[in-house]
Amino acid sequence: MSTTERPPVPSADAPPARHRAARLLGAALRHPAVVPIGAVVLALLIGAVIILAAGLNPITAYAAVIDGALNPDSLDYTFSVWGFICGMALAAAIPLRMGEFNLGGNGQLVLGGLTAAVIAGYAPLPGPIVIPLAVLGAAVVSGAFGALSAPLATRFGIPIIISTLLLSPVAVAVGSYLVRFQIGESGSAVAQTPRLPEGARMWALGDLSYSNVGLLIIIAMMVVFWLVDTRSAVGYELRVVGANRRFGAYGGVRVGRLALGAMVAAGAAAGIVGAIIVMSSPYRLIDGALISPGYTFAGLAAALLAGGRPALIPVTAILFTVLQVGGAAMERSADVPRQLSDVLQGVVIVVLALRTVLDQRRSERSSA
Amino acid sequence: MTSETGTAAPAVELIGIGKRFGAVVANDGVDLVLRRGSVHAVMGENGAGKSTLMSMLFGLLEPDAGEIRVDGKTVRFTGPLDAIAAGLGMVHQHFRLFDSMTVAENVVYGAEPRRRGRLDRAAAAARVRELSDRYGLETSPDAVVGTLSAGARQRVEILKALHREARILILDEPTAVLTPSEVDSLFAVIRRAADDGSTVVIVTHKIHEVLAVSDEVTVLRDGRVTGRFATASATGEQLVHAMTGREIEVVQNPRSGTPGEVALSVEDLSVTDAGAGVTHIDAVSLTVRRGEIVGVAGVSGNGQHELVAAVLGTIPATAGTVRLLGEDVTVRPVRERRALGLAVIPEDRRGEGSAVTMSVAENVTLGHHRSAPIGATRGIRRGWMSLRAERSRARDLIRDYDVRTSGEQQPIGSLSGGNAQKVVIARELSHEAPVLIAEQPTQGVDVGAIESIHGRLLEYRAGGGAILLVSHEISELLALADRVLVMYAGRIVAELAGAEATTARIGAAMAGAAAHDAPAAPDPVLDPEGPRA
Repeated sequence: MSTTERPPVPSADAPPARHRAARLLGAALRHPAVVPIGAVVLALLIGAVIILAAGLNPITAYAAVIDGALNPDSLDYTFSVWGFICGMALAAAIPLRMGEFNLGGNGQLVLGGLTAAVIAGYAPLPGPIVIPLAVLGAAVVSGAFGALSAPLATRFGIPIIISTLLLSPVAVAVGSYLVRFQIGESGSAVAQTPRLPEGARMWALGDLSYSNVGLLIIIAMMVVFWLVDTRSAVGYELRVVGANRRFGAYGGVRVGRLALGAMVAAGAAAGIVGAIIVMSSPYRLIDGALISPGYTFAGLAAALLAGGRPALIPVTAILFTVLQVGGAAMERSADVPRQLSDVLQGVVIVVLALRTVLDQRRSERSSA
Repeated sequence: MTSETGTAAPAVELIGIGKRFGAVVANDGVDLVLRRGSVHAVMGENGAGKSTLMSMLFGLLEPDAGEIRVDGKTVRFTGPLDAIAAGLGMVHQHFRLFDSMTVAENVVYGAEPRRRGRLDRAAAAARVRELSDRYGLETSPDAVVGTLSAGARQRVEILKALHREARILILDEPTAVLTPSEVDSLFAVIRRAADDGSTVVIVTHKIHEVLAVSDEVTVLRDGRVTGRFATASATGEQLVHAMTGREIEVVQNPRSGTPGEVALSVEDLSVTDAGAGVTHIDAVSLTVRRGEIVGVAGVSGNGQHELVAAVLGTIPATAGTVRLLGEDVTVRPVRERRALGLAVIPEDRRGEGSAVTMSVAENVTLGHHRSAPIGATRGIRRGWMSLRAERSRARDLIRDYDVRTSGEQQPIGSLSGGNAQKVVIARELSHEAPVLIAEQPTQGVDVGAIESIHGRLLEYRAGGGAILLVSHEISELLALADRVLVMYAGRIVAELAGAEATTARIGAAMAGAAAHDAPAAPDPVLDPEGPRA
């Protein structure tokens, strides 16, 4: 009980400067960019602690990351990786726009690469025909594979996040089997397809050795996604369903069809990335080579960090490209294992996921 | 109850209370005097500052300026526990009870009678009986709260406050969830408590309730006191004027003209949740003709919402048919029903009627995004939207419907409830669909805006629209409906033509044919052998 004879609280007209500063700080902390940027900063700090714990200098290590990624000599390679990560970010972002998670990027990527390897390697057609055909074929096969998850969700109630995650290893294993035992190069120590004929390789961009026309294809896909997202009826429906599924259903959006379309587009985007990787140097499908660089999860992290917004994906993808490319350089020059970049990606995703959970808790509490 | 003040200080005095949230002034120099043994109504529109004021009185918020005195002594509450210790009790609009525990356990929670360190159940039950007898609050101490009706739960909340020896009771919108007969018995309890020397504050925006139960009225508008009245000498017009700052015309359905052909017909419609084994609606049949408003009355949760959802198509019908303009749409998707000519103002504005994170413009576009002027149905622009047309249409609707917003790009979630409702209504009415379902269309809307919404619904009717109006406000149904259907436990239990619909008749039917006051279970009062803990 606090019945006191104390005079009442000071007047509202003259809030102490401290209060105003606190209020400004509070408003600044609620800015939507705070959590994503905070996640990145936190990840870098945790990374620094890990490096310190290993008895190494975090500043040297991070400097090696930046230098390895942005060194003018390696920019060609960095750009090609940025393209792949952007492409895989699209595969995650399109369903994310309607609130669904596509965790099956690996399977979609491998099926696309496989399709491209088969078409480009065996179709006796001239380059101008076979190259687009291989890209398109990859898009169709991976799109169809991605599409499987939509009816599983609408008809049988299996969440897309689950079915994509569980179907993906199946596709990866099928790809692995075919490369090892059916379409592999005989007599090779590594499980890989024969090199593609000259005419069936992705067109080069000038004398760059890594970035090629595939990068332009991916940039074009991002522009199309941006246009569809901001000014098409389908993009509007995606955003409505992502913001409030019940609102969409009430308004007459066919949520099931939308999910089908989103998963086809996501699968197709991943498939095209797979095709571009196979048709780039070293011009063959090597077992495991599509998955081991981790483009899928770097892309997923970039999409999450961008909140699925098409205009932000190129920017967030830069971050993960630097980690990815620079991670290898860091291993060489600072003796820090490249797995550290996986740790940093993981921390970013955990912080963002935590934000989602906390937001949900808060809105449940306020509506209770 | 207005005479005996005498020498003692008033029970509560609020002097010059001020509170602001950022740039918004919620309360500004509010004075309020609550005399002991009186019932004081605090009224005002949404956002007038009633709840902020009561939250400060109950210690949930701290005032920025001003002083609170209880029994003549200045107090400073740092939390509700301080307020409870000073003799205040608050019954919130949304009940704060443990559903799985008994009435007695809920009542004594926080101040339990103990025996050897453990809860003394017998003493708790005796205490509940004693309090219920003294105040005429019928309840059974051993009933499990989860099985009780809204009215019975509210009685438990009041008992909770009385158990803590609250001499000053704050009731926040206490009638929102009650049937008319429950409202009557609540008012009797309030009267009895005041006669017994307690001070009761009732926060409400319903004028007839203020006139019926209070001794004194304080009206707030925009955070300031705009009127103080002794109820005995106040009129409804005076109160409305103080609340809104202007005269309000009462809108009334002329009930003229003959309805046209049947636009919506529902035959033997049932909705059953097989998993939970619950029948939400049971063989409901109704028709709505062009140029007719059919009202659906009932206490919330008696199947009205499922009826609307099944007609819209967001939940499947288990049996029966829904016909829209003569076409059987029972198994058609929502989009086709809407395309045929159906618009719906939903009850759950935040959960179903809007996407709170999206802008006003985007919210008002849903359903209009594939047709002119925003979209195109043919040609090269098919499937694309004109953002310019979207914005200009949104600006037009904001102006026509007087939505208070900083612009069409403002997120709808940051608007007040009444303004967000106007956005939803603008979107649905602008479909100009032959059939409109309006579910609680004025829920959370100010008196002034209610009038304009009612006016628009009557215009819609005059223009040949068929309206199914679901409402928990009997006065709204009496003002607008040509016919009133009453739903109880998933069935239509009464149909009253406009002329024969009265508050008493609708109220009797709402309470159920068997005089139960609970939709879920019989009232434990009628069943003294009820569940034992």
